[in-house]
Amino acid sequence: MEESEYILETENLVKTYPGGIKAVQGINLRIKKGQIYGFLGPNGAGKSTTIKMLSTSIKPTSGTAKIMGYDIVKDSMNVRRIIGVVPQDLTTDEDLKGIENIQMVARFYDIPAREARKRAEELLALVDLSDFGNKYVSSYSGGMRKRLELVVGLVHNPKVLFLDEPTLGLDVQTRAKMWDYIKKIRDELGVTIILTSHYLEEVDSLADIISIIDHGKIIVTGTSDELKSNLKGDIIQIEFATEAEAKKFGEYENKIDVSYPKETEARLKVKDADYELPEIMKYLVNNNIKPLKFSVHKPSLDQVFLEYTGREIREEEGGDVRKMAMNMRRLRR
Amino acid sequence: MSGLIPLTVRELRKWYRNPVFFIVGLLQPIFWIALFGSAFDITKLFSGIPKGAAVLPFGNAPNYITFIVGGILTTTSLFTALFSGTSLIFDRRLGNLGRFLVSPIRRSSIVFSKIVSTTIRILVQAVILVGAALLIPNGLKLVHGISAPDIFIIAAALIMIAFSFSSLFSIIAIRLKKQETIFGIINLINLPLIFASYALFPAALMASWLANVAKYNPVSWSSEAIRTVILNGNLSPSQFHSVMLDLLYLFLLSVFMIILTIVLSEKEIRD
Ligand SMILES: Nc1ncnc2c1ncn2[C@@H]1O[C@H](COP(=O)(O)OP(=O)(O)OP(=O)(O)O)[C@@H](O)[C@H]1O
Ligand SMILES: [Mg+2]
Repeated sequence: MEESEYILETENLVKTYPGGIKAVQGINLRIKKGQIYGFLGPNGAGKSTTIKMLSTSIKPTSGTAKIMGYDIVKDSMNVRRIIGVVPQDLTTDEDLKGIENIQMVARFYDIPAREARKRAEELLALVDLSDFGNKYVSSYSGGMRKRLELVVGLVHNPKVLFLDEPTLGLDVQTRAKMWDYIKKIRDELGVTIILTSHYLEEVDSLADIISIIDHGKIIVTGTSDELKSNLKGDIIQIEFATEAEAKKFGEYENKIDVSYPKETEARLKVKDADYELPEIMKYLVNNNIKPLKFSVHKPSLDQVFLEYTGREIREEEGGDVRKMAMNMRRLRR
Repeated sequence: MSGLIPLTVRELRKWYRNPVFFIVGLLQPIFWIALFGSAFDITKLFSGIPKGAAVLPFGNAPNYITFIVGGILTTTSLFTALFSGTSLIFDRRLGNLGRFLVSPIRRSSIVFSKIVSTTIRILVQAVILVGAALLIPNGLKLVHGISAPDIFIIAAALIMIAFSFSSLFSIIAIRLKKQETIFGIINLINLPLIFASYALFPAALMASWLANVAKYNPVSWSSEAIRTVILNGNLSPSQFHSVMLDLLYLFLLSVFMIILTIVLSEKEIRD
């Protein structure tokens, strides 16, 4: 097998669900060893579908992908041996103890019992769960269950780890803790990590390379800094009572660009908001138009997302609502 | 088959640790025996039949329990087999299946872990059921004793019928997302399966069309095989022949179900 610079490569990966739902519409990826690669996209963007294809739980409609040279369809068994997966939904069995879950999965990989035990102890310690291995999973909190998922996904020393929405439904503190564990996993275990999220802060703080994905397509790829510097400007967003006012504001001269997210809302891109604001105030007063809501955005991934997709990242909840509700309920306990 | 053992261990752990499952599983066969077996008093039926009649509908059964124990063993296995289907659906809904599908195990071992564990549950229930039937007053009477080959025949019939029913419900559940569907299916099929069979009534008491249909019912094959062994000591050549034929049919059915399960689960199982 020839050595490729990339640990994971895909070519035109497509998934169309029954009923003609085009969840993923041609994704090309090149991921280097040792990176944390982040997919950022809103609900229904196709993140989970992409992860499910790469982790061999569903088959692509067309296109190919290789992980360390193994084809995800033809060599799926070999792929499964080298990847670790933490799906969006919880997978551990509540009726078993933490350690029993880990040992069961270890046996899937033919890991001898003694070795599995040692590995389980190390990993439980890594995510601060040492005292809970012998407790039933049904007694775990949501954050603990997510950490146990990390352990289960890592038990066989995978080379590539897929994390689908690793902090979905967790509170802010628990989420920050989770980020620390993910960084630790990369640094201490040297695993290449591919994660998805619809939290901007998450990919911003974790990922070396970010792909923004929407409607099943990758819209842009780069480091966080690259994406932000592409923006070249600040955003001033104002909501008005009427469409006419919004249009009038949009005619303001010293702008780079204008768009209308809603009929009564205008989004102006300017070179530097700090200098432009006084002028804009004057313009508003002179034209006798009154803002209802006024906001200024400095470059952030939020902005990047808006720029490339034309919408905010947090929108309606989609996906398998029933499963999600069930998972949320389990996470909140 | 990689994955089969750890997955089966998981199933069995979940079973014996769940007190409700366990107790219901034990009580159900006891109820069957106590209610069904002693509700009918066939001596009353015998008293209406002239002495020395050519055909006795219940053969040489000393009482009704002894007559239907094979039928009840078969029927309870039909109900218990339902678990292999519902638990597959639960695994899908609770996300456990997601883990199995990304692991390097054969997909059919996911389904076979349900089938094997359910078959084990059915066998444990069978032992308890037979024990209960022997203990209750006027219960199961082994007039001719019971030999090792008898036990072998009973176990073989039971394992094969349990295996076939469990496979049936697992196959149904391979792509189902809602357990309502599988409950609907069992409601639809279990009445005809039980009543169009020799599980509870002898062929002699049936309308001839029903008796003919019942010949092709797997419930009859296992009920009759077990019954023949229990009611008779040394089997006559014709009895031996019919027991072997029943076992052969059950064997062919099991092989067919195994192949179907492998083919369907390798290809069709998904999250
Ligand atoms: N099993 C399925 N059958 C049919 N359509 C599906 C299925 N799974 C997902 N979809 C659809 O495919 C699209 C992409 O879904 P996917 O779950 O990949 O999105 P996502 O980016 O992971 O979203 P989320 O942030 O909600 O997890 C959505 O429109 C979704 O409704
Ligand atoms: Mg998702």
